[in-house]
Amino acid sequence: MRIAEVIGTVTLSRCHPAVQGYRWIIGVPYSLKALKANAAPDGEDVVILDELGAGYGSKIGVSEGVEASMPFHPNKKPLDAYCACILDALNVR
Amino acid sequence: MQLANVVGHAISTVKHPSMTGWRLLVVQPLTTQGKADGEPQLAVDSLGAGTGHQVIICNDGAGTRQLLGHKNSPVRWFVMGICD
Repeated sequence: MRIAEVIGTVTLSRCHPAVQGYRWIIGVPYSLKALKANAAPDGEDVVILDELGAGYGSKIGVSEGVEASMPFHPNKKPLDAYCACILDALNVR
Repeated sequence: MQLANVVGHAISTVKHPSMTGWRLLVVQPLTTQGKADGEPQLAVDSLGAGTGHQVIICNDGAGTRQLLGHKNSPVRWFVMGICD
């Protein structure tokens, strides 16, 4: 799971039937440098399926790859990224 | 499996139910040269590793699901061992 900051949402007009009705957010992953400096995230943004209700500016844990669709197993969904947790506090030294 | 430095820890209230009760560490995977390899990752920990420790992390998702006792967990990384 990478750590990302939520910078926006996505609305779909047409989509794969398996992912209909879900909320989508845009997250930018943090590098170690950005985390340590408490700076803005500097990674490549990803579109994330969100079931937890993460808001703008929230720091979240993003599951990627096979694990992104595991919460829906045995149902199959074409997912790359899933919001697994909303972080209340992050202590990085 | 990969060597990593523990650089911090995270606290989360709203999360996938499979992660309830588990310590969540921020770990930075390392290359063979000891440099940072990619972005930091969140890993579950049952061994009590702390900030500054060097650990071995494992990216076996099926193993993590077994460890957490949850078939639908989205967690991939867990701390497998602490390096002396």
